Amino acid sequence: MKRYRKPIQYVVLFLVLLIGGYAVGHSLFASSAVLKAGDQPPEFKLLALDGTVHESAEYAGQPLILNFWGTFCPPCRDEMPALQNVYEKWKDRGVQLVGINLSEDKLSVESFARQVGAHFPILLDRNRQTEKRFGLKQYPTTFFVYPSGKIEDIVIGGPLTEQQIEAHILKITGNGR
Amino acid sequence: MQVLLLNTKCECGHQNPVGTVLCESCGKPLAEPLDGNPGAPLEMRYDGVARRSQKANPDWLDRIWNFFSSVKVAVWLIVLTLIGASLGTIYPQEDTFLNMHTYQEFHDYYKEHYGTAGVVYHALGLSRVYSSWWFIGLLVMIGTSLVICSLDRVLPLYRALSKQQIRKHLQFITRQQVVYAGPAPADTEAWLAAFGKELKRRRYKVWRDGDALMAEKNRFSRWGPYINHIGLIIFLLAVLGRSVPVWNMDQYVSLDEGETEQIPGTNYYVKNEKFTVEYYTDDELPDSLKGTIRPKLFDTRATLYVCTANCDDPSKEPVLEPVKTHDIQVNHPLSYKGLRLYQYDYSPQPRIVSVSPRIIDKKTGEQYGPFTLPMRNPALTYRVGPYTLTLKDKFMDFGLDDQGRPMTKSRDPNAPAFVFLIQGPDLPATGETYIYFPREIDKARFQQDVLNRAIADKLDIRVLSMDDVVLSENTSTLNVRIDRAMPFVWVGAAIFMIGVAMGLYWHHRRIWLRFDGGTLSLGAHTNKNNYGLRMEVAAAMTKAGLPVSQQSLDNRRTSP
Repeated sequence: MKRYRKPIQYVVLFLVLLIGGYAVGHSLFASSAVLKAGDQPPEFKLLALDGTVHESAEYAGQPLILNFWGTFCPPCRDEMPALQNVYEKWKDRGVQLVGINLSEDKLSVESFARQVGAHFPILLDRNRQTEKRFGLKQYPTTFFVYPSGKIEDIVIGGPLTEQQIEAHILKITGNGR
Repeated sequence: MQVLLLNTKCECGHQNPVGTVLCESCGKPLAEPLDGNPGAPLEMRYDGVARRSQKANPDWLDRIWNFFSSVKVAVWLIVLTLIGASLGTIYPQEDTFLNMHTYQEFHDYYKEHYGTAGVVYHALGLSRVYSSWWFIGLLVMIGTSLVICSLDRVLPLYRALSKQQIRKHLQFITRQQVVYAGPAPADTEAWLAAFGKELKRRRYKVWRDGDALMAEKNRFSRWGPYINHIGLIIFLLAVLGRSVPVWNMDQYVSLDEGETEQIPGTNYYVKNEKFTVEYYTDDELPDSLKGTIRPKLFDTRATLYVCTANCDDPSKEPVLEPVKTHDIQVNHPLSYKGLRLYQYDYSPQPRIVSVSPRIIDKKTGEQYGPFTLPMRNPALTYRVGPYTLTLKDKFMDFGLDDQGRPMTKSRDPNAPAFVFLIQGPDLPATGETYIYFPREIDKARFQQDVLNRAIADKLDIRVLSMDDVVLSENTSTLNVRIDRAMPFVWVGAAIFMIGVAMGLYWHHRRIWLRFDGGTLSLGAHTNKNNYGLRMEVAAAMTKAGLPVSQQSLDNRRTSP
């Protein structure tokens, strides 16, 4: 038995460090349900108003603005023109601007987008699944994402002005530093 | 206890490890406390063998090992864990609130409900004790201590008990807690045979070495505590295993009646077929509660579906296959392949699921239809009699914004409104717009006929009776859980109980006996119930022809 004493000690302490380290590490660095700047946004795969399917992976490597909105939210409506203007101004410079509707019927979304003149890509969440994954609490919520895939900032509430949106665009395109 | 650790070689010639209290071979006391009484009963813990980790020159590994090997440390760890765990019960823990996530939200909650004490409680992190790094750290240290304490003691003890010397040192015998010393009987051989037979009748195993005798029973009960520790370790590992995401899931799904929703992160969908709630009648309630609404039973008839195709393609409807239907009540979850759906809450929230209205020509009084109009995802065109209805817009919770434009105030069908373009007899070929409120109260509130102007004089869309309306009266909230660690928790608990029973209901008893000249010396040891052992020894000796009383064997009273 004596021969194995040292190896047993090493094995036991190694297992303790492995299992204990995982458990303690998990509690220390547990990703909270709330996203914050610097995090990676969750993945999504959704249907767009035009019937095409879009995945989060498509936007990798490009500066991305994700705007969660609903027809029931007045500030969402109020910031639509600003989003549309910014979209037109920056789409040729590689900035992706995507609206994600909060699980409403396609009919309502289409009619609303037509009324407010929103022609940027709009994806339709279903059953609030994407919204839950992003941990949304208030509407609108806008995520500004670096090409690296890290969140630059999360703006909760609105309406955003064109100037505010462009200030974030300068950061995520790297022109503001 | 101050222990001399100088010479570890016994006079019998056996070389003992450092820290040995009683010679491993003959049992002679080796290390005596400096202030000890030379005749006092021996310290028999772990049969006097050295703990594995005790060494003359410990290195860093041995020091860590020694720390966790100490029972004193283990007791402190347990005390600290208990204090931590009890602090966590003062106010509700953060994870019991479904709708709060951020530090600020929790801060505000504790401030509002518990004042300054709540703020301090939250700031100290006591509002999330059970998932804190230090609490988990304590559990890990207890686990480590359990493993190391057990290993350090069980192996030497096993070794000591499996190769016991029959002839023990005289001091070892005379310093047991149960002893006898007296003149030897005339025929020692015959007496030993009779005594051995008596002990065997009491289910002892008996060994002889010349005129020395050793008897033992129920050795297995010594392993009870270690089996108990194995159970605890499995239990702890299972509890830690719950932090592995695939082992544990905890979600909430709120469903109106008739609504189907995907369970987040799974391939399962759940449908609320029907929700029923029963209330206590006044006869069943005590006087103080009469007239109040007290739910007696709530029940969600739910169907669980598994998605078989188009699950990951948002452009198509997923193909769902029902796998189980169950009446979910409190403590009666729907259970399917490790997934459990518990009744968590409900809220009375009358909502229209679908209506089946008719079109009435106001001039002729003729009725057409009905056609079914669901509130969620309705079809876009309807052919009803001579009329064609095209759905142009839909509002779930109709209202007007601050600029007088129609809007929806929420996405739940609280005040649904449908905008149709109607084509048909007596109407322009391009059609005419008609806004339809399924709820009578909304129709009056928003003045449907005024909004519809001329067309309101020509036709009417309405339901004729409540039979044509499907209502959801309550929203049921289900708690969806996966807890794959639970079977291991039960296995751990079962092993724990087996260990406890082994250690509690059986007692390890040993008897040693030798003759020196004309003197018979007997010593006996047990780790529990000395009285029982004395009774047994006294009875066997008396039966073998040497009458003694149980009291006279008690070494603890007679020694000074």
